[in-house]
Amino acid sequence: MAVEKLYDLWAARNPQWEKRYEDSIIKNFCDYGRGATSLREDRGKVFGAGYEIFIVAFFIGLYFNQKRPLIEDTQKRKTLGQPIQYWGNIEQRGTRKSYPKLREYIFTALVARTDIDFIALEKGEMTSRKAVDMLMQTMEEYANWGFHFMEDKLTDDHNYFYRETAFLEIFLAFDASPIESIEDDEPDPLD
Amino acid sequence: MIIKDIRINNFRSYYGSNHLSLSDRLTLIIGDNGDGKTTLFEALEWLFDTTGENRKESHISEKRKSELEIGESDEVSVSITFEHDGEKEIEKSFTFERISESEYRTRDYKFAGYLIEGAERRFTAGDRLLNICFEPVIRKYCLFKGENELNVFDNDTALKTLVDTFSGIRQFDELVEMTSSFEQKSANAANRELQNDKKVSNQAKELNAQLNDVTNDIQNIKTELNQKKVSISEFSSKLELLEKNQETSERYQNIKERIKGQKDKRAKLSALSMCDYSTNLLDEYWILRSFPAIIKEFSTKVSAFSKEKRRLDKQETERRAKEEGEREAISKIQKLANDAVPLPWNLPDEATMKEMIDDEICKVCGRPAPKGSEAYEFMCNKLNEYLAHIAAEANKNAEMKEDETPLFPNSFINELHSRQIKLSGDTEQEISKIATNISDRLEFVTKRKAELAEVEKQLQDLETEQNDLLMQSGLSAELLDKSISDLRGFFDAKSRAENRVSELETTLKFKESTKAEIQEKLSQLEPTSSMTQVYQRVHTAFERINKAFTNAKEQNINNFLQMLETESNKYLQKLNKNDFYGIIRIRKTVSNSARIELYSDNGTRIENPNGALKTTMYMSVLFAISQITTLKRDQDYPLIFDAPTSSFGGFKEDTFYNVVDTIDKQCIIVTKDLLNIDKATGQKALDFDTINKLSCSVYRIEKAEPFNDKDLSTIQTVVKPVK
Repeated sequence: MAVEKLYDLWAARNPQWEKRYEDSIIKNFCDYGRGATSLREDRGKVFGAGYEIFIVAFFIGLYFNQKRPLIEDTQKRKTLGQPIQYWGNIEQRGTRKSYPKLREYIFTALVARTDIDFIALEKGEMTSRKAVDMLMQTMEEYANWGFHFMEDKLTDDHNYFYRETAFLEIFLAFDASPIESIEDDEPDPLD
Repeated sequence: MIIKDIRINNFRSYYGSNHLSLSDRLTLIIGDNGDGKTTLFEALEWLFDTTGENRKESHISEKRKSELEIGESDEVSVSITFEHDGEKEIEKSFTFERISESEYRTRDYKFAGYLIEGAERRFTAGDRLLNICFEPVIRKYCLFKGENELNVFDNDTALKTLVDTFSGIRQFDELVEMTSSFEQKSANAANRELQNDKKVSNQAKELNAQLNDVTNDIQNIKTELNQKKVSISEFSSKLELLEKNQETSERYQNIKERIKGQKDKRAKLSALSMCDYSTNLLDEYWILRSFPAIIKEFSTKVSAFSKEKRRLDKQETERRAKEEGEREAISKIQKLANDAVPLPWNLPDEATMKEMIDDEICKVCGRPAPKGSEAYEFMCNKLNEYLAHIAAEANKNAEMKEDETPLFPNSFINELHSRQIKLSGDTEQEISKIATNISDRLEFVTKRKAELAEVEKQLQDLETEQNDLLMQSGLSAELLDKSISDLRGFFDAKSRAENRVSELETTLKFKESTKAEIQEKLSQLEPTSSMTQVYQRVHTAFERINKAFTNAKEQNINNFLQMLETESNKYLQKLNKNDFYGIIRIRKTVSNSARIELYSDNGTRIENPNGALKTTMYMSVLFAISQITTLKRDQDYPLIFDAPTSSFGGFKEDTFYNVVDTIDKQCIIVTKDLLNIDKATGQKALDFDTINKLSCSVYRIEKAEPFNDKDLSTIQTVVKPVK
């Protein structure tokens, strides 16, 4: 039997997000829930599959280092169409490139930012399932904060994201130089 | 005829009675669009129309109509009083009656004229009085609506009408006709006599037959010559147009090519400046711009766990070794200085180790490790340890004793450690380059966009230039594309016609001299009868008289045109004070019409004078005609213009009115010039700066407020005297 890998366990999962962002953000920027993404240009959406805006939201939360717990009521949560392992695989000639490696970077970031006792995991005192649950929680909470951030921007200015550089500008605002030490303190959730 | 007063009652927007007193020189009637300028002009046109009974319901004031109760009636009327050998008046009117909610009836059409002598008004028929005092042919040169009607020579009969009316040479036509008939008759009589004369009969018959032939030939040649001349003139004007086009066409082609070049450039730049900033976050991994810090965090964390794991592992092995008394196990453990934690077993890897041993250099610290040295032995041990580890791992499960559960049954930390190694080196370098990549790309796109904007601007300029060219030349793009090929055809046809003309002219000259010879011979025949000789002499006399009248008629037309030209140029100079104006030439065309053309002093024809110059050119001719009319008839006639200056600019307008103001001629101009717009309110007010400098009468016509912008029956023109 091949050795079990944390990455594979994680990649087989499908993160949850709050249903309330479905119309205001996910469907607004993606072709979520509409099947093939080939008509993206016609529909004038910024992104293709629903997970793309999830990734963007995640990175916003990650770089701001801000998490926001998901709503308790699981009825008010939803998952995306595809588990993480398929994210970024689709390529469209002339318009889009695939970006499979991004999954690995997301995983890397989750490991860096999730407080897992790897020694306990290695010893078998903690199940791999539990570890992956923790990674997923970090991922969902970062993304949840990111969605909240976007919603805030939209409330202030409905047309905020219609500027073609709007998303890029958010990421250009973050420091790009390597940081020697990172504050490990969990920041307060937004609100 | 000098108009003194105009009265308009219930004519369209002129509700109720309205009155204007006119100056015997310039009267300006100023109103904005929809204020009733054209209605005023048309009221006069209606009054001056002598062609029949015209009582259109549309002439009735809607406002007045709407006020009438069923069974009530009122009157539409337009009248003028004027000076023409004493004071006179004409009035046209009809009655309208409301017969139901929506129906009206018109009746009692009247066209009355009055001769006013003191307090006495003697009635006469209006149309007759008008035709006497203001002949239809003169009216034709007095009322002008808009700028486009100003060219009086735009039809072939215009010149003849004008010459017939004003040059006073109409009687020449009759004289020429009469003398020509005398000449013909006397010629016939003389010939008859000659042919009957015994002595010269045969000779005369033969000469007459020859003369007949040659006269027929000459007639045919003249007909063809005339046709050819007409077609040359047609070809010339077409060529003139096309030659003008050729230059335009070349410019047009040039612009078209430049537009194409700029469009290609624009396409390239558009492609280069296209950048999907949002999807590049993913597709180009731009989202990882700030990721180096995360990698650092990850590495720190993984290193710490890896180190901790190895420390615990070592501790465990030592504990077990102690417990089991396997001292060999301890000895196998590589001790490092300061009791430091050794590197993971898999670092450096097998290939790297073998290479270092072969090269006898420790490539980790860079120091030489010759065979036999301590460092060399260390490396060999490390390699053996690596190989042993691989072998041990393979047998691990098999060898594991039941009570020996491993401390770390999982190897997730190793997985993370491998990932850490993968992330270092090239990968880390690539990620750290993303920030630079993004700013390079943004800079590139910004530059291309700036270039694109420049190209767009140039393209727009070129397209404006192209449109201007089309507008100025008044030609279609299609015509400009094909005119060069047409030019050739017209040119060939023209030169064929010209060659034929010169042939015909030579032949004509020859035939005419032949005819003269024959006539000479005929006249030199010496008939026996003295009566025959008398006939011959009579004929010769009539022939000369006829020639004299024909020449005089021709000369007269030329003199008339010359006079018209001279007078026109005087006005042109006045109307274009302080501006370029050129010289008017009035040319007689082959088809006996006239054409007004403008020339520069150096003889170059000005093909397309600007709107204002063209208008003043035509107006100068009109003033000149009016001037000549006055001279010939001992009467003055008014010139009435509706909006003649729409192509003028503000400065030109001022000059124009200043000049017209000084011309000694009754002129009524209905215009929207001399209105200033108040930028704050959008209201238009009279330009008193200019008006006060004029000595003319000025009226302001305006829609009475308030009015419903959708209901015609609320519209009423109010006439206010300004000065």
